Amino acid sequence: MLNASDARPAPGTSGRAPDDRAVAAGRPWGRIVRVAALVVGVALVLAFPTMVPNAYILSAGIVVVSYACTATAWNFMGGFTGYVSLGHAAFFGLGAYGTGLLIRDVGLSSFVAWIVAGALVLLVTIPVGIAALRVRGASFVIVSIAFVLILLLVFQAWGSFTGGSDGLVVPRPFPDLLRPEHHQVFFYLFAALLAVMLVVWWAIDRSRFGTGLKAIREDEDKAQALGIPTRNYKLVAYVVSATFTGLAGGMYALWFGDLDPIFQFSIMLGSYMVLMALLGGVRHLFGPALGALIVGSGLEYFKLEFGDTQLHLVATALLLGLVVLFMPDGIIPAVRALLKRFGPEDSSIREVTAAELLERNRTASHDAPSRDTASTTAAATAPATPTTRQEDGR
Amino acid sequence: MTTAAPPATRNLETVGLTKSFGGVHAVRDATVTFRHGKINALIGPNGSGKTTFFNCVTGMIKPDAGTVTFRGEDITRRAPHKIAQAGIGRSFQLCRIFPRMTVLENMLAAVRRTRRRELLKGARNAEEIDKARALLVRVGIDHLENIEARNLSYGQQKLLELAGVLMGDPDTIMLDEPAGGVNPALVGRIGTLVQELNAEGRTFLVVEHNMEMVMSLSHHVIVFDRGGPIAEGSPAVVQSDPRVLEAYLGV
Ligand SMILES: Nc1ncnc2c1ncn2[C@@H]1O[C@H](COP(=O)(O)OP(=O)(O)OP(=O)(O)O)[C@@H](O)[C@H]1O
Ligand SMILES: [Mg+2]
Repeated sequence: MLNASDARPAPGTSGRAPDDRAVAAGRPWGRIVRVAALVVGVALVLAFPTMVPNAYILSAGIVVVSYACTATAWNFMGGFTGYVSLGHAAFFGLGAYGTGLLIRDVGLSSFVAWIVAGALVLLVTIPVGIAALRVRGASFVIVSIAFVLILLLVFQAWGSFTGGSDGLVVPRPFPDLLRPEHHQVFFYLFAALLAVMLVVWWAIDRSRFGTGLKAIREDEDKAQALGIPTRNYKLVAYVVSATFTGLAGGMYALWFGDLDPIFQFSIMLGSYMVLMALLGGVRHLFGPALGALIVGSGLEYFKLEFGDTQLHLVATALLLGLVVLFMPDGIIPAVRALLKRFGPEDSSIREVTAAELLERNRTASHDAPSRDTASTTAAATAPATPTTRQEDGR
Repeated sequence: MTTAAPPATRNLETVGLTKSFGGVHAVRDATVTFRHGKINALIGPNGSGKTTFFNCVTGMIKPDAGTVTFRGEDITRRAPHKIAQAGIGRSFQLCRIFPRMTVLENMLAAVRRTRRRELLKGARNAEEIDKARALLVRVGIDHLENIEARNLSYGQQKLLELAGVLMGDPDTIMLDEPAGGVNPALVGRIGTLVQELNAEGRTFLVVEHNMEMVMSLSHHVIVFDRGGPIAEGSPAVVQSDPRVLEAYLGV
């Protein structure tokens, strides 16, 4: 697939050959659509609590936004570096229990406890990351699962401290608020946390650091051979990802008020993060949030309709399989490709570049040394520098 | 590190470099000195340890024994990115690029060193884009800058890899079979590029099986057999060395 239309000409540099001008011509539309979609999206999120018919739907909305937070947090690691962690629930649980225990045992006020718990997750993640990031691929997945399972066992067994399977009750931060208002406040708190994450993800995505992370995702050895300090880059991404996941967990503790190791340190939660991010598209800012919207709504709907069956697990597994098989890049690129097929400006960009590529290939194959037509064809089709444009044949 | 010769004349040197995989002695006690400012060729039969030697020098593989020095400084067992930042660029035998990045993004990812306070600076910085474009023009694939690298032909990918290496302004460039798998016209083009870049003062270490290229290009040839050097000298001298003929032809 050609990707020319994704690239933007840099400000301050003169336009390049045909492709750039085409991109520039198609750009205002893309930008307008994007800004409009963003405004509508933000407005919908802000208006949601006032539009819902009852507190139940509102709390389902909170669950969805908290999923969006965890999936976006996961994507700092999974999306940028390609390291798939199935055990990110570990950081969610640590953030949640950290917040709860700091309130209960240390007597910190709710939001101070939340921030301190986030900082603790950050500190814990450094040694964990150093150890876990020594391995890649499937081994990393397994290490990440092992980590969350260990924490699950510890938090279940150490009942005197964590409450074990009886759970840990976290005092509410706003005891005076009624249930609907409590939900409303937390919906906005989660949305604000999500907004912060999205801004940070966006900033990294366009930065040199982000480019280095993406190089690691593409080919880690090559990245290192080019001078990118891959170990430190990965570690920073891991710590940022874990810390945001921990903050989401802490927020959840403050909202929900009741923690159980089996839910907080669950492989399922970690799998949801992966599924949501993959479904929406890990290369895209809003991919994980979109995935969370779809999967989260689905899960809440299943719970409402069918109660506590395991049906939603089957549905989740099916969805994961379908995504991996048919939409490895997620919904956003799939939809974009679909729109491109109908959008006039964008399709013309594709045609220009595709035609050019075709021409290049034709020229290249004619340039094979055995063909004596080579020089004339090259001279006729290659515009500026025929000498440098002959040699890209296989 | 004592510096016997003036630093300006010293480039890469290895002493007793050794690496085995299980029972296979891939590199065995290799003591090699490459000529600074020259095009050095490293030749030898398949499996003679050339790529493993490259990997040991660039830190991709930790050698079992021996030392690697670069301009008189010990770089043995340093991390690959440190060695790259010290000014050694390399290509891979099976050309490696970032397949799902565009050609231009590939170039921008190859900036040699990013200072800590610049980490969050935008990656699409005008100065670096200009530099990247100039290099793409130089290798002849500037018209492809917005194409995802995986869509390039193999020859184009090799040119992109070379351009990416040049993005980091390395003083010493190690190429593992630059002419492998590309058509003769491109071989000529790559050869010319190497000569031009060498004329600008860059030292080259080229592993190559294409003898025509090796003999026409290089100033100094080192012949590997079974993990270590068996002969070295000017192309003419090496060509008539009986040990080389034996290693290559089995006579
Ligand atoms: N990672 C590895 N694991 C095990 N054996 C290896 C490994 N890498 C190389 N070898 C072995 O080491 C020896 C040297 O291999 P190397 O790739 O360095 O040779 P080469 O000179 O580059 O060959 P070619 O000209 O075919 O590229 C070979 O016998 C090879 O099988
Ligand atoms: Mg080799």
